[in-house]
Amino acid sequence: MSLKRKFLPVWTFAKLDVKRLFRDKVGIFFVFVFPLIFLIVFGFIFGRDDGSVSFNVALINQSQTEPAKQFEDQIRKSDVIKVKDASSEQDALQKMKRGELDSVIVLPGDFGATKEGQQTPSGQAIVRYDQNKAQAGTTLTSVLQEGVFKPINQRLAPSFDPFTAVARSTSTEGLRQFDFTFAGLLGFTLLTSGIFGPTSVFPRLKQRGVLRRYSTTTLKVWQYFTANVLSNGVVALMSLAVMFIVAQLMFGVTMRGDYLTLAAFATIGATLMFGIGLSIGGWAKNENQAAPLGQIVSFPMMFLSGIFFPTFLMPGWLQNITQFIPLTPVVDGIRLILTEGYTLVQLGPQLLIMGVWLVVVYLIAFKVFRWE
Amino acid sequence: MVKTRTTSKKQPIVTVHDLTKRYDNKAVVDGISFDVMEGEVFGILGPNGAGKTTTLEMIESMRPIDGGSVTLCGIDVAARPDAIKAVIGVQPQTPAFEEKVTLKELIEFFASTYGDTVDVEAVLKDVQLTDKINSYPEQLSGGQRQRFSIATALVHGPKVFFLDEPTTGLDPQARRNLWDLIRHIQSKGVTVIMTTHYMDEAEQLCDRIAVMDNGKIVALDTPQNLIKALLSRGFKKPQHVEQANLEDVFIDLTGKELRE
Repeated sequence: MSLKRKFLPVWTFAKLDVKRLFRDKVGIFFVFVFPLIFLIVFGFIFGRDDGSVSFNVALINQSQTEPAKQFEDQIRKSDVIKVKDASSEQDALQKMKRGELDSVIVLPGDFGATKEGQQTPSGQAIVRYDQNKAQAGTTLTSVLQEGVFKPINQRLAPSFDPFTAVARSTSTEGLRQFDFTFAGLLGFTLLTSGIFGPTSVFPRLKQRGVLRRYSTTTLKVWQYFTANVLSNGVVALMSLAVMFIVAQLMFGVTMRGDYLTLAAFATIGATLMFGIGLSIGGWAKNENQAAPLGQIVSFPMMFLSGIFFPTFLMPGWLQNITQFIPLTPVVDGIRLILTEGYTLVQLGPQLLIMGVWLVVVYLIAFKVFRWE
Repeated sequence: MVKTRTTSKKQPIVTVHDLTKRYDNKAVVDGISFDVMEGEVFGILGPNGAGKTTTLEMIESMRPIDGGSVTLCGIDVAARPDAIKAVIGVQPQTPAFEEKVTLKELIEFFASTYGDTVDVEAVLKDVQLTDKINSYPEQLSGGQRQRFSIATALVHGPKVFFLDEPTTGLDPQARRNLWDLIRHIQSKGVTVIMTTHYMDEAEQLCDRIAVMDNGKIVALDTPQNLIKALLSRGFKKPQHVEQANLEDVFIDLTGKELRE
C-alpha cells in the first residue's frame, strides 16, 4: 500500500475528530471554558498589582559596622518592609527575577564606616529593583530615606545627610507572580486535555463496541494513534491560543519568546501528555479502571511539576525527583519561552527528558492497547 | 419461497475444519467443520451459548483459534488476519458509532481504513439513506442504523459479509426491509454468513443452515431439506396449521412500507 493510502485514514479520522469536538457542548466546555475558569480565578488572585503597602525584600548586608547592624535591626522591625532570606546578592536577584521579591537592599562594605576627614559615619544603601517593579523600587527608596535615615541623619549631622538611599534598576526585567502562574496554567491545560480526555473517551468507545468495529477493518493501531495525536495536538493548540488571548486582554502576559517556538514546544508537550492518557484509556476496559488510574498519575504531576507551586519551594531531595516527572520539563520549557525568550536549542535539557518520556509512554501505549 | 439457484456447483469460499475454541478447558466451539459456498447466504442457528458468535468471530479473525483451521478466499485466517480483514465486511450485533459525526464523514472514514475513497452518495443510495447524509447515526431509527452500519461494512467491496443477529429488536417492516437488502447484497455476488434467532428469517434468507448446540453442529442442510427430514421422521405439529399467522395479519393491517 502506498504511503498516501496508509495515511488516508490518519487525516480522515483526525479531521473528523476535531470537527466532532466543536459539535459537542461538553467537549467545548472542558477544552476551552474549563481552563479559562482557572485562568480567570488565578488571574484575579495574582494578576493585578495589589494595593497593600508591604514590600518583600532581601537585605544584603556586606558591612560589619555598628550603623549597618542598627539599620538591619530597624528594617527587620518594620511592618512595611518584610525581609526574606537570601544566601547571596546573586541568589536575591534571582528570586527577584522570579517575582518572589520586590527589591533587594544592599548595604555596601563601607556602609557606616567613618570616612577620612569626616566626624560622623556615613553610607549609602542601594535599593535594587526590577524594571516592571519600578514603583516598588522608588517607593521603597523614599521609605528608607524619609522613614529610616532622616531621623538618624538629623541626630548625627544636621548640616548634611551622612546616610542616603539610592534606587538602582537591575538590567533584566522581572516576573510578576502571574507570569509564573500563567505558564503553569498552560501546562495544566495540556495535562487535563491530554490525560482526562482519552481516559474517559476510549473506555466509553470500547464499552459501546465502537473500537471493536474499527478492529474488523484493516485500520492499524498506529494509524488510529497518529490520528488521535494529531487531533489532540490541534485542539490543544487552539485551547492554548484562546487562553493566551484572554490572559493578554485581561491581565497582560509577558511573552519574550517566539510564538512559533511556543507552538512547537507546546505540541510536543501535548503529545507527551496525550501519550499518558492514551496508555491508560487504551488499556482500560471501562471507565472504572481508567478514571482512578488517570487521577493517580495526574494528581502528583499537578502538584509536583511546578504548575501551581514553584518547585524551588520544595525540599532539595523532592526537587531532584520532580525535575524528571513528565510534566515538569513541559511547564519549565513553556515558562522559559514566555519569560526568558528561550529557543528550542536552549530548551535542549527539557526536550531531552520529554523525548525519553515520549519513547517510554508510547511504547507502553502500543503494548497495552486493546480494541475492546 | 422457492429457491431457484443451486449452490452445489459453486466452489467453497470458506472452509472450516475441526474449529475449536476453549474457555477454562470447556470447549465452547467443539471441533466443527463445514464449507460455505461462494455466493450463498449461510445461516448459523442455535440457542444462546451454542457458540454461534464465537464461531463467527474466529472466521472473521477477531478471536484467536484454539484448534483446527479456517480458510477464507484461500487465505489462512490464523496466519494472515490482516489479509482476511481486507476481504470481509462485519456487521456487529449492536452497531455503535462515534457521536456527533455525520454519515458522510463516517463512510469516508471507513473507506479510508482500507485506503479507499468512495462516492458517499452512491453508498448511501444503496441503503436508502441519501437524505440522511448530514445526520448523525444517533439521530437514525433502529432500522436505519442497521442499514447504515451495513453500508459502512460494505464500503470496500468485501467478498464475504458477516451479520450477527441483524434484525434483533427491529419492527416487522424494518426486518423485511433488511431481508430485501441482504438479498440485494447477495445478488451482487457477495457471500453472506449470518446468525439469527428467527426461524422465519432463516427460512426466508438462507440457502443453507447450520444448527449449532453446545459447540457442535447438529444439522447442516437447506431449510427445505431440514424440514423434509423432520417430517420423514414422522413429526407432526400438534395443532392445526393455520393458513396465516399473526405476523401476516400485522403486515396486512399495517402494510410493508418502512416506518422510521
